[in-house]
Amino acid sequence: MKLVLGYLYPSVMSQYGDIGNVRTVIMRCRWRGIDVQVQNLELGCAVDPDGIDMFLVGGGADSHQRLVYEDLLKVKGEGIRTAIRDGAAAFAVCAGYQLWGHYYRTASGEELPGLGIFDAHTVHRAAQTGTRLDTITSAGSVRSVGNLIVQWRGNVLAGFENHGGRTYLHGGAEPFGVVLSGGGNNSEDGLEGCVWHNAIGTYLHGPAFPKNPVLVDYLIGKALARRYGKVELEPLDDELELAAHHRALIRARERPQRWRRLLGQGVA
Amino acid sequence: MQLFAGSATRAATRAVAVGTGKTLRTVSRRLGRGGGTTMPGHLAGRIDPGLLAGLAAGLPNGCVLVTGTNGKTTTTRIMADAARRAGLAVITNPEGSNLLNGIATALLVHTDHLGRLRVPDSAIGVFEVDEGALGPAIEALHPRLVVITNLFRDQLDRYFEVDFVATLWQRSLRRLPASATLVLNADDPQVAYLGSDVAAKVLYFGLEDRHWAKPALEHAADSRRCPKCRHDLLYELSFYAHLGHYACKECGWRRPDPRFAAWQVELDALRGSRSQVTTPAGDRTYEVPLAGLYNACNALAAAAGASCLGVEPDLVQAGAQDATGAFGRLERVVSGGREAVILLVKNPSGFNEALRLVLSGGEPRWLLLSLNDNQPDGRDVSWIWDVDFETCAGQTAFCAVAGLRAQDLALRLKYAGLAGETGQMLVEPDVVRAFDEAIARTPAGETLYVLATYTSMWALRRELVRRGTVAPFWRQARAGQPARTGQPARSGQPARAEAGPEAGRAGSR
Repeated sequence: MKLVLGYLYPSVMSQYGDIGNVRTVIMRCRWRGIDVQVQNLELGCAVDPDGIDMFLVGGGADSHQRLVYEDLLKVKGEGIRTAIRDGAAAFAVCAGYQLWGHYYRTASGEELPGLGIFDAHTVHRAAQTGTRLDTITSAGSVRSVGNLIVQWRGNVLAGFENHGGRTYLHGGAEPFGVVLSGGGNNSEDGLEGCVWHNAIGTYLHGPAFPKNPVLVDYLIGKALARRYGKVELEPLDDELELAAHHRALIRARERPQRWRRLLGQGVA
Repeated sequence: MQLFAGSATRAATRAVAVGTGKTLRTVSRRLGRGGGTTMPGHLAGRIDPGLLAGLAAGLPNGCVLVTGTNGKTTTTRIMADAARRAGLAVITNPEGSNLLNGIATALLVHTDHLGRLRVPDSAIGVFEVDEGALGPAIEALHPRLVVITNLFRDQLDRYFEVDFVATLWQRSLRRLPASATLVLNADDPQVAYLGSDVAAKVLYFGLEDRHWAKPALEHAADSRRCPKCRHDLLYELSFYAHLGHYACKECGWRRPDPRFAAWQVELDALRGSRSQVTTPAGDRTYEVPLAGLYNACNALAAAAGASCLGVEPDLVQAGAQDATGAFGRLERVVSGGREAVILLVKNPSGFNEALRLVLSGGEPRWLLLSLNDNQPDGRDVSWIWDVDFETCAGQTAFCAVAGLRAQDLALRLKYAGLAGETGQMLVEPDVVRAFDEAIARTPAGETLYVLATYTSMWALRRELVRRGTVAPFWRQARAGQPARTGQPARSGQPARAEAGPEAGRAGSR
């Protein structure tokens, strides 16, 4: 068996250790004797909807989103949408998630049109509140930063979020999960991420795959099912994975008060 | 009358602020609660908000700020040492307390009880500044010189985005007057671009030795886009991370030619480097007893900075030769008859360089890696996935992982091909226990390499201090008067070091 992984904009949208998700898919497939071929889908590369089994896209700053959104719409959009409608798996994190919604309004108020795969839109918190981002403190005041714990289909997922955008799901959209700890989509409705067919949009960095093996195996299963029908994935020894997952849950409960108090000082 | 009353009140406030700060510092040291390197300045600043600007204005030769993601402590040290050799009375924050309150504390030491700065005519401030505090520091201190070493991905939970830091820097640097000078790394596109469109004079430093170029950019490279037009940068040479010789194929913007250029760099494994450098004053040789290409670059930055203060290049050479490892920068300790070398790691590019150093030579190594996720380390541990641990596979004789997020490190190593099934990995969250276990397993004559993030290194060091293996940081260097040890710290001999995180240091520099 073979799985083709389409990694979107690796040189632009991989700012938060997102490459870890790629490494995880490769290793978990390799340990099961499944070949993985990674296609780097940089600016200008078109997408063959039949050729890609799983899409991955990571996080980036407003400036990175400004750089890729046109390419995403005009060069890759149709291919990605067709593949996903046909059952391909996808995991779009943070900035990637935002650009797969209808639009993203940046901190400066500029509206970047998105793919519309997720029935949702995103507005940067600074644009909502009219906050000027001229210091680290002002930028921090509008961001959701911290450990993010999400309930998804009876599983608890652990990751880290770091975003200024607030995402709002529209009427027909299915959320990816429910926030147990952290901000999630918008810090208001308790929802996290969005799902359309086998595509998941989420704020879970961390990266999410390594310490949430149930999630990555679910997506590997979906990606292979499109080509090979239902596949039984061989169980792996996930002792280290689950230990890291467990540790992340504990750290999410512990508030790092002392450090914050001491270190908040002096940074304007 | 009103004016007089106002200024009298201000003077009284200043005196109270300074008195409080000085007392707090003395008490803190007496109680052994750390060096008291930031709290005094913090409290005094709360009493008198104009304190820092007021004190800095009294420095006869103004002040210098050094910032950047990596290398600012070392660069500051070499520059301060060279300036001292040139006869300047240098006030610095050598203990690495690099926020505004740390700088205020360094100045407080030199005030009288009426809150007036009492320094000789030759006094100058040479301060290391946290990346996030550069703007406010420029506003308060009006520096005559700003040195920027580089800009890498670091603690995104605190700085959010690399671009954001660059934007903040640009805004602040544009406010510098034409009389000020900016020393910038030509090899870092985002840093080099800061030199365009500023009133201040700009002086670049950079590497010209093609020998150290690598074929492809590493994954940890942050800046591969033209800062001017956002198109792809074309790299002719790539040194490490995104540092190299580049040009934009779209708008034509390219790496500026450095006035301080290292055209030949020889590295001697963990011992140091020797660089042939072109300076406006002629060619020089700089020997630095600190390992790694990045430390050769730090010496180059310091040389360029020192030249702006009128310091002779030969004095920089003397200063560089005496450079000792800052806290956890290749600090050597001996425990139970075995040697350990401690390296501070804090971001992907620094971790990659540390691994490259440790693994140079090609023999299997004994490693202890420790990852904490306290605020000074960065609460987000995702960055370890941007480190190329794949290079360790087949090169580790033994590896222990420790820290509050030891399990995340263990997992990262598993996916890098250093699986636990070979029995060569030990997972022990307690860094002290992990250290004891790892050093016991290190054969006599071999070295244990400890790569740890800020607070976990601090925890380990605190225990080593308790055991008497290393000296506490505030005995090793006093604010403004760092001890001169004359040579890199050797076995059993204390290295100079900086404040522990209890002192309120922001970046885990």
